[in-house]
Order: sequence, then C-alpha cells, then structure tokens
Amino acid sequence: MSTLTTRPAEVGAAVGGEPLATRLHRWAVTVDHKRLGIMYVLSGLVFFLVGGIEASIMRAQLARPANDLVSPEVFNQLFTMHGTTMVFLVGMPILLGMGNYLVPLMIGARDMAFPRLNAFGFWLFLFGGLLLYFSYIGAQGLYGTAVAPDVGWFAYAPLTDRTFSRGNSTDYWILGIMVSGFGSIATGLNLVVTILSMRCRGMTLMRMPLLAWMMLIVGLLVLAALGPLTAAQVMLLFDRNLGAHFFDPQEGGSAVLWQHFFWFFGHPEVYILVLPAFGFVSEIIPTFSRKVIFGYPLMVAATVAIGFISLSVWAHHMFAVGMGPALNAFFSAMTFMIAVPTGIKIFNWIGTMWGGRIRFASPMLFATGFVAMFVIGGLTGIMLAMVPFDWQVSDSYFVVGHFHYVLFGGTVFAIFGALHYWYPKAVGRMLDETVAKWSFWLLFAGFNLTFFPMHISGMLGMPRRIYTFQPDRGLELWNVLSSSGVVLQAAGVILIVWNLLRSARKGAVAGNDPWDAWTLEWATTSPPPEHNFDVAPTVGSRRPLWDLKHPEDPDGRYE
Amino acid sequence: MSEPREAPYSRAIPTPTGGPLVTAFGVAMLFAGIVTNIAASVIGAIAFAIGGVWWFREVFPREQLEAIEPTGGQSEVLPPPLPDREAPSKRLVLPVEIHPYRAGVLGGLAGGAAMAAVAAAWGIVKHGSLWLPINLLAGAVNPSMAALGEPELAAFDGGWLAIACLIHLVLSIGTGLLFTVALPMMPRRPMLFGVVVAPVILTALSWSTMGIVNPALEEFISWPWFVASQVAFGAVCGFMVNRFEMVPTMRGTSLAARLRVERSDGGGEPS
Amino acid sequence: MAATSDSLAAAAPHAEEWRPARGRTGMACLIGMECFFFGTFIVAFLFYVGKDTTGPTGKTCLSIGPVVVWSICLISSSFTVVAAVKALAKARKAAFEFWLGLTLLLGGAFIYGTVMEWRGLMLEHELFISTNLFGSTYYSLVGFHAFHVVLGLTVLGLLWTLSKFGHLGPEDTERVELVSWYWHFVDVVWIFVFTSVYLIGTGILS
Repeated sequence: MSTLTTRPAEVGAAVGGEPLATRLHRWAVTVDHKRLGIMYVLSGLVFFLVGGIEASIMRAQLARPANDLVSPEVFNQLFTMHGTTMVFLVGMPILLGMGNYLVPLMIGARDMAFPRLNAFGFWLFLFGGLLLYFSYIGAQGLYGTAVAPDVGWFAYAPLTDRTFSRGNSTDYWILGIMVSGFGSIATGLNLVVTILSMRCRGMTLMRMPLLAWMMLIVGLLVLAALGPLTAAQVMLLFDRNLGAHFFDPQEGGSAVLWQHFFWFFGHPEVYILVLPAFGFVSEIIPTFSRKVIFGYPLMVAATVAIGFISLSVWAHHMFAVGMGPALNAFFSAMTFMIAVPTGIKIFNWIGTMWGGRIRFASPMLFATGFVAMFVIGGLTGIMLAMVPFDWQVSDSYFVVGHFHYVLFGGTVFAIFGALHYWYPKAVGRMLDETVAKWSFWLLFAGFNLTFFPMHISGMLGMPRRIYTFQPDRGLELWNVLSSSGVVLQAAGVILIVWNLLRSARKGAVAGNDPWDAWTLEWATTSPPPEHNFDVAPTVGSRRPLWDLKHPEDPDGRYE
Repeated sequence: MSEPREAPYSRAIPTPTGGPLVTAFGVAMLFAGIVTNIAASVIGAIAFAIGGVWWFREVFPREQLEAIEPTGGQSEVLPPPLPDREAPSKRLVLPVEIHPYRAGVLGGLAGGAAMAAVAAAWGIVKHGSLWLPINLLAGAVNPSMAALGEPELAAFDGGWLAIACLIHLVLSIGTGLLFTVALPMMPRRPMLFGVVVAPVILTALSWSTMGIVNPALEEFISWPWFVASQVAFGAVCGFMVNRFEMVPTMRGTSLAARLRVERSDGGGEPS
Repeated sequence: MAATSDSLAAAAPHAEEWRPARGRTGMACLIGMECFFFGTFIVAFLFYVGKDTTGPTGKTCLSIGPVVVWSICLISSSFTVVAAVKALAKARKAAFEFWLGLTLLLGGAFIYGTVMEWRGLMLEHELFISTNLFGSTYYSLVGFHAFHVVLGLTVLGLLWTLSKFGHLGPEDTERVELVSWYWHFVDVVWIFVFTSVYLIGTGILS
C-alpha cells in the first residue's frame, strides 16, 4: 500500500491555459463526483431547454381553438417526448447529479463510494437520452418517415402493441429509457452506499444534513422502482419484437397489468423527483432564516414514512380503470395517508421560518416559492385521491395542472433555488442577485399564469393530450391565458441561463462560505479541490460550521 | 474497511479513467443495435469488452489511487472541546419544564367530575331529569337520537349511561393531558388559561362542530350552561395540574438519561 | 499538522465509529434491486397461470423430474462456494480452486439442464415465446434467471482463472465473498422461480 503517488491538485489557473482537447479529455475520463455532478446538471439543463421548447410548441398550438400549427401526429410526439424528457432526462439527472455533487461534501467524504460506477452511471444516462432523441432521425414511423415516440410518457398498452404502433419509435422509447434507467440504478446504489459507508468521523445518521437523508431514501426508492420498470419494458420489448403476449389482450394478456407495473414504478418516481427538492429546501430555509431546522427527527421520520408509503399508492393513477371498490378504497386511503408526512414537512419548514431573521436572497425566494406552490399541488393531489372526484377529472387538464404544480412549482423551483444556493460553491463566483430576482418573479408569475387556468379548463371538461379544441365551449380564455404564461416563463428561464453563464466569468468571488451556512460543504474552498478536504472533518453536531464559528455555544448540547 | 484514514490516504482519489465511458458507450450501442443495425450491436459488444477490461484493470489487483497535495485555504472542521462548565446560553429551549403526565390524568378526572356536576345541575334545574345530559352525551355515537322526544331522553338507560361515562372519561383525561402540555405556555397565569383561554377555545370548537358530532345535543344545548361547565372543568383541572411540581424536559440529554436508566451528567437545562 | 493530530486526539469520543463496508453495502443494494426485478417477472408469471387461450401450458409440457436434479445441483453449489471462500481466507489455494471448480461444474450442469429442457419444449411441444402466454412468461422468467446464472458463472470462472495464474490471495477474500453473495442470491431466486413455474405453474400446488 506504499505505492500511493502524490500529485498537486488541479486548480482553475493551471487548467485554464490548456488546449480545449486536453480539457475535454479531462472531463471525459473524470471519476470525480463534483465534475460528474456538474455534467449531470448541465446535460439535464440542456434537456430542460429541449423539453421546454416542446412544451412551448404545444402551448402555441393550443393558444386558440381549431388551430393547425402542428398536426395531431406531431402533437402526440411532442407530449410524449416532453413528458419523457422532463421525467427521465431532466428531473432524475439533475436531482441525482446534485446529490452526487453535494452528498460527499456534506458528509465529509472524499468521493462517492464507487467513483468509476458513478462515471458509468452518468454516461449511461447521457447515451440513453441521446438514443431516445436519435429517434427523431432514425426511427421508422407508419409511412417510413422518421418519427419520435408518440405513445405518451406512460406508454399504455395496447397502444404500444405492434398493431397500433407501427415502425420502431416505441422501441426507441423503451431502449432509451432502459439504458438511462441502468444509469439511474447505478447512481441510486452509489448514493445509498456513500451515505451509509462514507460518512466522516462523528457524522452519525442523526447528524446528517437532511439533504443526505432525503438522498438516502431517494436512492432506495430508485432501487425499488427502476427494477420493475426495466422488467416491464423488457416484457414490452419482447411483445413487440419476439411476438410475446404479455400485454396483448387478444391472446389473453392484460393491458391493465402494464398499468400496474408502470405505476408501481411511476409513483415512487414522483417521490424520487420531489424528495431531493424537499432536501434542498430543508437546507436553504434554515440558512436564510438563521435558525436550525424545526423538528429534525420528525423530518427524518417523515422522509422514511414517505419512502415506505410511496410504494403502496401507485394505483391511485388507475381509479378510472375499474379496479373495484376494495382496491379503490385501499389506494385512496394510502394516498390520504401519505399526505400526513408531507404535511409535517410543510409545517416544519414554516416552523423554521417562524420567528427567524429571514433574508430573502434568491435561493430563499425560490425555496419559499416552492413551499407555496407545492402546497397547492399537494392539495389538488388530495382532491384527486378522492375516487369520485378523480372519476370526474381523470385525464383532464385538472390533472395536468395538479402535477405541474408538484413537479414544476415543486421540483423545478427547488432545483433553481438549489442552483442559486450552491452555484458559488461549485463555480467560486456569485450569481447576479438582481438578475436572479427578476428571473424568479418572471418564472413565478408565468408559472401561475400557465398552470392555474388549467385547473379550470380541466373542470370545464378539457381532456389532456388533445391536440386542439372546438370554439364556443368556454375553453378559449383559459387556454390563451395558459399559453401567454409561457412567454414569461421562457423569459425567466433565459435569464437564469444567462446568469449562470455570465456569472461564471464576471460574478463576484464567493469565498468559502458566502451565505454564512452551517453544513460541511461550506468549510472547503470554492470550488472544492479534487479531494474535497485537506483534513478529513470530524463533526460533533448537525451544524459543524456553527460549532466552528461559535465554540462557546456549540450545538451538541441541544440535540 | 481496510482503507487507512490517515494522510495521505485521506486525500486519495481514484485516478481518472476512460473505462466507464467506453463501457457505457458499449451498453448503449448494444441496445441501439436492436432498432438500427446489427453492426451497431457488434461495435457495442466490442466497446463493452474493451471498456470492461480497462475498468477491471483499474481496480485489480489493487485500486488505482493517487493522493492530492493539500491546497490550503479551508476551515478545519473538528468538534469544539466540551466546555468545562456550563456557559450561560443565549438560546432558549422551550419548554424547559413541564408538569408530569400523571398531573394531567388526575386533573382531568377532577375537572371531569366538576363538569359532570354542572351538567347534572343543568339537567335537574332546567329539565327535571338527571339522565337527560347523560343520554345526550351518548348521542355522539347514536345520531338517530336526535329524532327522540324529551320524555325518552329523560329516562334512565344503563347502556347509554355506560357509553356516556366512557366518552366523558376519555375526553376528560385527554383534555387534562393537553393541559399539562399547554399550561407552561402561560407560566405566570395558569388560572387565566384554565378559566378563560381553554373554555373559550373548547366552546368555540364545540359550537362549530356540534351539529356534526352530536346533533341530539345541539337541539337541547344551553350555551351559557355549557360555558359554565367548561369553566368548571378548566378551573379545577388547571388548579390540580398547577399544584404538581414541574419536571425538566431534559432536552439535550441522552435517551438513557431521560428514561432514568442512567444519571444525567448535568447536561440538563440550567434553570 | 501536529496541532491537527492533537485536536483529533482531543475529540477521541468520536474517533472511530462503525461504518458498513462499502462493498458489502453495494452488493446488498444490487441484490435488493434484482429482487424487485425478478419479483416483477414472477408476478407476471403467476398472474397469467391458467389464462392461456391456446396450449401447450405448464400442465401439459413441463416435467418436474429432471428439474429437481438440476435444482439440487444449483442449490448445492451455494455450499461449495462457501467452502471455496473459507479456503481462500486460509490461503489454501488448491482447496480454493477445487471448491470453485466444483461450483462451476454444478452451475454448468444447471445451465445444461435448462438448455435441454428448452430444447425439448421447442422441438417436441413446439412452445416458443410467441406461442402463448405461458411461453412468453415461462421463457422470460426462466431465461432471465439462466442469464444471471451465466453471469455468475462468468465471474466465478474469471476468479478461477485469476487464481490459477496466482493473482488471487487471502487479501481478496472480501471481494470473492461478495461474488459468493451474488451466487447465493441467484440460488435463492431459483427457489422462488421453481415454486412458481414447476409447482404452481404445473398445478402441483394450486
């Protein structure tokens, strides 16, 4: 073991003068969790822009009745690719990537548990995403033209059957998602092992930052959810290419079984997408309220409870299928139950802010925006958990409004909050605060303008996934409102991207700890060196940097 | 867990490698071949094999690591030495002390008795029947009781008596326990809480929900008497609970110390 | 740096805490994920038992006799691999290679059994994955299990080769033990597959 070679760290200045090829090579062969995390976030943001453009085209098509901007076939491809992209190529990679970047720093480790597996996971995700988008060029459709998948992001059988989905665009959907799914499994496994095995001295489970707790549960949920998805996709692949009959009702197969399999993955997936957001917010709110998180043990317990309950709520997506009163009642009750730990978290965030000395810097704006929007999404979720109500609005724009409040108002706002919070750590420079505030308010206004009217158009009977609607049904106003909000959102997103790019060169130098925060990542330099910490940290409480700054009144006595 | 944690191993990270990239490319191409051309799968298989061997040689026979020289400029995070004696803290941890739970049980029982006395007085004075208030309370589990007339409701019924006693006991003890938790919020004026605040809250709660919870009672209820019974409960219960010595909540001490398994090392709150 | 080690010593109460070894944790996670993966195929198989519109089904074309023999081979290979790991820990190279070789033989025998069974089903009963629901569920469930056995055999064979060339020593015991965990998992899954396909699917248990 004495063969360990020592070399100086690659700091920004030394790397800056190298030719582009050398720098790209560095990124291609890296196994450093920080570089991989940045690559995850960057590629996720690129896919976010692509998915956002798809959504904008859909809203343009729906801006007025009987519009013919895009054909029905293209519209089907747009909503399929929008949903698939946002869930698999934006949400998962950005969240797992930020976990990748932050978790080792937060628990005082020098890297993830399996750094090479980490790189493998990232490249699988990227190649899987590229394979999915290659369908726009390579896939054969009904008339031999290139088409993207058009079966909806949950690809219900028997629409995916060879008979109804000619060509191989659906196979592209299966394979692209499957390959990037392997990558998610690798990263989820890596997160779980890192959190359990790589904690620094003194970092007991109950002293971990809440983000690490959320990521632990997310990793376990990834392991539990992605296996069944892969299995179901393999069955579908066999159905389409080897003539198997899993989901083929003509030969006795069951289309409903696909729904069960898909949603057994699909609902934990929702919590995979929202638990990291909870984690970001649980880090941001205490820092900007200048208080410790309210009810830490309860937050942990609520996270674990969500992890368990989320595995048994999947069929609330299927109330309209006709499962019978017993199953409907069970899944309805479980769905009500999962609202309890989620509600506990909301109250704990409010309890943290209560009486705090709140600084409304841009991360805090996004975090409070998250709490408010997520509450609305959660409440409509409880409405949808009521079977009779669900029967009325299932597959309508009400549902579209609901889950965008959860996934956009929730997850995406938290992601942007986290980007604004940890950008100085990853880049070493501050974002422009004025631009950040403008982008928040534009996004916030545009988001509500787009998605709130959807609840109303849904109640009025507008079905989701419809490519146009007839005039004089009372839907014009709500749709034109929804479409006009897109302009504000686009402006907000463009400002954020511009801010991210510009501040990397022109932002004020951040220093180690620009927000006066308390978790370990702020102890090291910005950006951190490859090995994270010169001296492996030893912690004595949940807020090691508080202890460092206030040795006369350490936290340990109060935990 | 054979890796040493001392320097330079604490700064050791894996050497960069292209193995995972090539392997992942191989996997993606292997599957892409299904929808494009078998040649893609062949390329994928070759890339997978090359990447796999490359990766394997990174970790076998020994993991390839390199240590990074310290860069400086960081805060060294170590737990602060425990202070020799307790420094006065600027932080307030609430609640520092609470009444023991048995105070709540006893207070609830006593308050319940006082409340029952007022209710019985109302029954006898206003309606000439001791059993009327008891039967009305039992109406919480039997909504059809609202349809009965006064003569039936004023008659004795053993079953209703048992149910009413049970409801009364549970609610009294539960409310008494709430008092133990809530009283320290107004430490200087416990009786204000018992006589004014709690009756107001409970009456408001009952007034707004009575139609759903107990329609029978709503028909007969006399709100002045109801408030009087609540005040009786609050006064007696608050008085009883307040007589007990407060015990420290022992926040910041270990679970073992809180369970009295081991003696607290003085880590309890300064009082 | 001296000050640092001093203050580390001062923090002695926190000095060393137990952390699960990352290799073991990782393998446990992988196995957990695989359980969900196989669980999905088993659910599909059990869901479709008796729902075929055309034959042949498990009742008419599966014979349990040979499978029991091959299953005993596979299950007993779990014991031989444990013996191999123990031999490696004690640096007994020859014993390690013997037990590992025996494991390879037993696993190979199981794969031979699967191949023969599939051959019989395809040639005599004309059962293919596209024939009916039983064909779809049977071939995919048993096939994925066989695929995992082959993966395990590949890794075990690699270990055997490395040992032959003298690249494996007692210091590698933990790595080899992790491979043996995976092998145990493949065996345990087979017990569930066997119960589903050969006991419930054939109507012996119903």
